[in-house]
Order: sequence, then C-alpha cells, then structure tokens
Amino acid sequence: MAATSKSERAYIQSALHASPPLRADGRSLQDFRNVLLETGVSPLANGSARLNIGKNPEEGGGGTEVLAATKLEVEDIETGDGVEGGRLICTVTCSPAAYPQLSMNALDDLQYDYTTVLHQILSHPSLHPKNLGIIPRRKSWLLNLDLVILSDAGNTYDAMFLAARAALWDTKVPITRAVQYQARTVGETLRAVEESMDVEGVSPSGFDTRQIPVAADFELPDYWDEGEPLEGRDLWPVCITLNVHEAVHFLDATLSEEASVPSQFLVAFSFPPSSPSRVQAIRTIGSGELQPSHIQTLVQEAEKYARQLHTALNAKLRDEDIRRHQKAKVKFANR
Amino acid sequence: MITFSSFPAPPQDNYTFGVQQSPGLDNDVEMDLNLDDDEFESSGRRLTYPGEAITSSQAFMRGHGTYVDHEEVIASVSGTVERVNKLISVRAIRTRYNPEVGDLIVGRITEVQPRRWKVDANSRQDAVLMLSSVNLPGGVQRRKLESDELQMRTFFEEGDLLVAEVQAFFADGAMSLHTRSLKYGKLRNGQLVTVPPALIRRLKSHFLTLPCGVDLILGLNGYIWISKHVKQSEQEGEEGFDAEAVYSNRNDEIDDATRSAVSRVSNIIRVLATHFVPLTDSILLNAYEWAVEQEGDVKDLLQEDIVRCVLLCNNDNSVYEV
Repeated sequence: MAATSKSERAYIQSALHASPPLRADGRSLQDFRNVLLETGVSPLANGSARLNIGKNPEEGGGGTEVLAATKLEVEDIETGDGVEGGRLICTVTCSPAAYPQLSMNALDDLQYDYTTVLHQILSHPSLHPKNLGIIPRRKSWLLNLDLVILSDAGNTYDAMFLAARAALWDTKVPITRAVQYQARTVGETLRAVEESMDVEGVSPSGFDTRQIPVAADFELPDYWDEGEPLEGRDLWPVCITLNVHEAVHFLDATLSEEASVPSQFLVAFSFPPSSPSRVQAIRTIGSGELQPSHIQTLVQEAEKYARQLHTALNAKLRDEDIRRHQKAKVKFANR
Repeated sequence: MITFSSFPAPPQDNYTFGVQQSPGLDNDVEMDLNLDDDEFESSGRRLTYPGEAITSSQAFMRGHGTYVDHEEVIASVSGTVERVNKLISVRAIRTRYNPEVGDLIVGRITEVQPRRWKVDANSRQDAVLMLSSVNLPGGVQRRKLESDELQMRTFFEEGDLLVAEVQAFFADGAMSLHTRSLKYGKLRNGQLVTVPPALIRRLKSHFLTLPCGVDLILGLNGYIWISKHVKQSEQEGEEGFDAEAVYSNRNDEIDDATRSAVSRVSNIIRVLATHFVPLTDSILLNAYEWAVEQEGDVKDLLQEDIVRCVLLCNNDNSVYEV
C-alpha cells in the first residue's frame, strides 16, 4: 500500500463526491486506464499472456504489469497426485521489485492472499475444462497457472484475472492418443504394439481415448506445442473491482486511490454463451462495511462493467489470435 | 470504458557490431592530440551511451559513471560527460536525486524516530528532518521541550508530504532538511506528481503560481506538488504562528474549477515528463493555455495525438534552448 498523507486521501475522497466526480488523472469513475495485452509471450509455456494497466506508451515502465503462463504436466492418478479429469493449480508470485517497501515475510503474505483468491475462483468445478484427462483412471493433465506481478500501480486483482483469462484462452492442450501394450503369441518376446484407437475413421483425439479402458499409456501424435484449446475457454471469469467510498464506487483505482477508500468489492463473473451471466465469486477487501442492500446494487452494476470488460477482452484476444497466426503466416510468406 | 491495445513493438534493431568505428573514437584521437584543450566544455555538453569510450585512461582518471577497459575510460551510463581537471565522470540522465545544499525538495515522511523524522526524497538514502529544524507552534524562538518530542506525530506523521530545504549533509551522505521558513512545511489541498529529477531546472523560485488558480511546488528531487492557490495574505502568518493551520491535515474547500485545473496541470506535467521536456513555468503555462483553448476533457490530454500538440505548442517557445 502506497503511503499517502491524510490530506491527499481527503482530497481524493472529496473529489469523488464532487459533481461531476473527478479523479487525479481526469478519468471519470468508470474509466479504465489504457490496458496493453499480448498473448503468447513465453515460448516454453502452453499458453501465456502479458498485461499492463496504465503504462504510458512512451515510457519504459509504469503501470501494473502482470505476466501469466500456463504449463501442462502429466500426472499419474494411481500412484501420484493426479485426479480424474485433471486439475488446475494457480500460483501468484510478487516480484520484490514491485513492492520494494515490503519485507520478505510481508511479500509472502501478499502472494498467499493473491494465490488463494485466484485459485479458489479459477479452480471451481463449474469452470473445469473437460479435456484435461488423458487416460481414465491412469493419467491426467495438471494445469499449472503461474502469475508474476512485475509492478504494481493499483488494481492488481483485475489485472491478474484478465491476464489469467488471456493465458488460459491461449492454452493449447496437446492431443494424445492412447497406446496399448499386447503380448505377442508364443515364441516372441514381449513387444509393444502401438494401436491407434481410431474409432469410425475420425481423427484421433484425446477425447476418444477415454472410451478405451485397456489403454496403458499415451503418445503425442504431433508436436508438443500443438493441440486443441482448453474446452470451455469462454467460461473463464473476468473480475471487476469496485472501490466503494460511501455511496460512490469507481473502477481501476491507482495505488493512492486504493489507499483512500475504506473497502473494495470484488466480483467475478462468468459469461457462458447463450445463457445468463453467472456470479463466480464475491470478495470484500478492506475495513469498510457494506450493507446487504448496497451489495445488491453493486453486484448489478458490476455485472454491467464485467460484461463490457468481457466483450472488450474477447475482441482483443481474437485480434491477438489473428495477429499470431494469420498475419504471421502472411509475413512469413512475404519475407 | 475500457480499451485494450498492444504493447509497442520493440525498435528495429539496426545496430552493426564490430565493423563500424564507434563515434567516440574520432573524439579520442582529437583529444589525445591536444590534451590541454577544453574538449568537453568547448563542444558543448557531450552525451554518452553506456559502453561508449570517452577517452584514454592514461591521460584521464575515471570518476562516477565510468569504468576502465583496455586503457580507455568508458561510460557505464547514458548521460552528460563532466570533467574536473583530469577527472572524467558521467552524470546519468535517469538517476535518483543528487542533493545539494540549498535545494528545495518535496518529501514524504517514512518514519518517526527519536527527535527526528525520516523523509523519502527520491534520493539514495532517506533524508533526515530533525525536530530542531522545524518551526514549532508558539514562536520561532521557542525552546524545544520534552513534550514536543512526545508529540512529534502531531506535527508530521508517516505518509505526510512536506516541502523543505536541504540544510546540510551527514557523514554518510544523507541529507538533513529544515522547514524553518513560513514557505516550508506540511502540504495539503492538492496532489503529487512524480517526474525524473533531471527535468526540474534550478529556477529563481520553485513556488509557481499559475493564473488558473493553481500553486505549484517544483521539488528539485522530481516531486511536484500541485495545489489550490492560497493568497499571500491568507498564508499562515508569522505572528500568531498557528499550529492548527500549519500542521493541519484538513483540506480547505476546493471548488470544481480548481480541481479540474489541478488535474489538467498534473496531466500536462505527466505528458511533458514522458517526452522528457524540462519543466519551466513558461512551458507549463503555454501548454495549459493551449489545453484550455481546446476545450477537451482533462483525461483527453493523455491521448497520443493531443500529446504531440502539447509538445508542438511549445516548440516556438524555446523548449530545447533553455
């Protein structure tokens, strides 16, 4: 938390109640700072994204910067930690450079807080991607989602969820094909025979392998960085933080604004296609109190903001997909 | 409400290594030929890039911001070359604040210690403000009492912003501040903007008043305080030195016009700072007048095309010459 003096806090608070409300950099209450997003920043990850809120394009630094990356790992269900259908683990690391004022212990606490919120919300069963299993009762994918907060200029929760959503959107699960080991007839030594589990002539996919109970192991039919996107990637929630001061609330607070509001209200929304939006989680942060009736209106408002955020993010993610695939191909062809 | 954009593409890498002679080498030859010449001063300020060879290490000594390799003095930072007799040093452009006695700074209290406050002033070490170098309520000549030591937080507490002057240095290089003037003391009624310290020039006065009803304090450490204008006559007087007013945490009534002027000025300063334009009162004033003429919203100032115009409107007014 950035140190602020009482008079600075009072200045920010009274400006919120002015008409029209004005913030330090002239934004209105519902304005976000400029958000920069890039996916596929980490070549060794299965999906990755870099997100910055509030960076000035001319400057080297500034803004809240978050790096998110996913990595898939094979887990054994029988002998290891694996669970049927795979699992998701989120970890948040805060760079000490982002919080120079914090001691190592305080930094650990902060990381733990962020990790808990993110993990609880994203690993909820209602969001679980269906294609994380490899072989039923034997092998499954462990999806590690790691985030690093490289710098903090306020509104870290929204930034983390946006980056996490972008990285998960970008994640490719390698296609697997089950293999079976069969003993040959007498006279020959045991030899592994690959058997393509090709049902009805459709191309083999990891999904098909589940039907085959005898599969012992799996192989990757193509390169490890190819694959299909995580199933249900539209469902990943966006989080919106409402900074509440008395009757006024505003979005995308800077550090000094965060320090001058008594409570923050986090709502994570998931927008399933062709069905109404779903509240995934609600958290309150800070010492302030919120009345139940107030919370109701806040959730309604948050839904509106989250929808805008969701639409904008989806559009940007599609743009990124085009930039990285189609345009890259054209560029490569014209080189 | 929200717009997403892409990270700016990294600049095209056109560097060629090895083949080209580095631009510094010509100067070196010259310098070796006439060592007594004021090479650095005569040709104006010379800028370096990290790793640039400045001169021969046999004729010159290396100072701050340089190192010696293959008998050459090489800049380790990008900045301006400075020479004192045979000592070559490079003053970095992006750096923390290097204090000098008499500088006016804006700082923030980080710690309250026995008989002193620690002040963050964007320097390498926290500055020190002694209890004996602040004005206490009840007259300037009053003796410090034990009761004052016990209630130091009623004067300044953690997080408070203050304007002060650098008084002296301690043995370890930390600066000692004083606020023994009515112009100095706790700050209120406004907001803080931070810029690189290199952009603040030494002016006749660092207390500026813009005609839009905004007071500016340009701290030499790069902290700029922008606040509502307080009339000279209404400033806390020497006579009944009023602790309530001077050490108050309460803001005055601020009207909406002043608020938006404060925001507009701070956005202008941000814009100028990102483009590395040194700040003076005339530049700020020009930019402000231009911004008001455009009748745009305060937040529009941060948009890219507007930024260019803000810079251009100052071009005729000798931004680069001062």
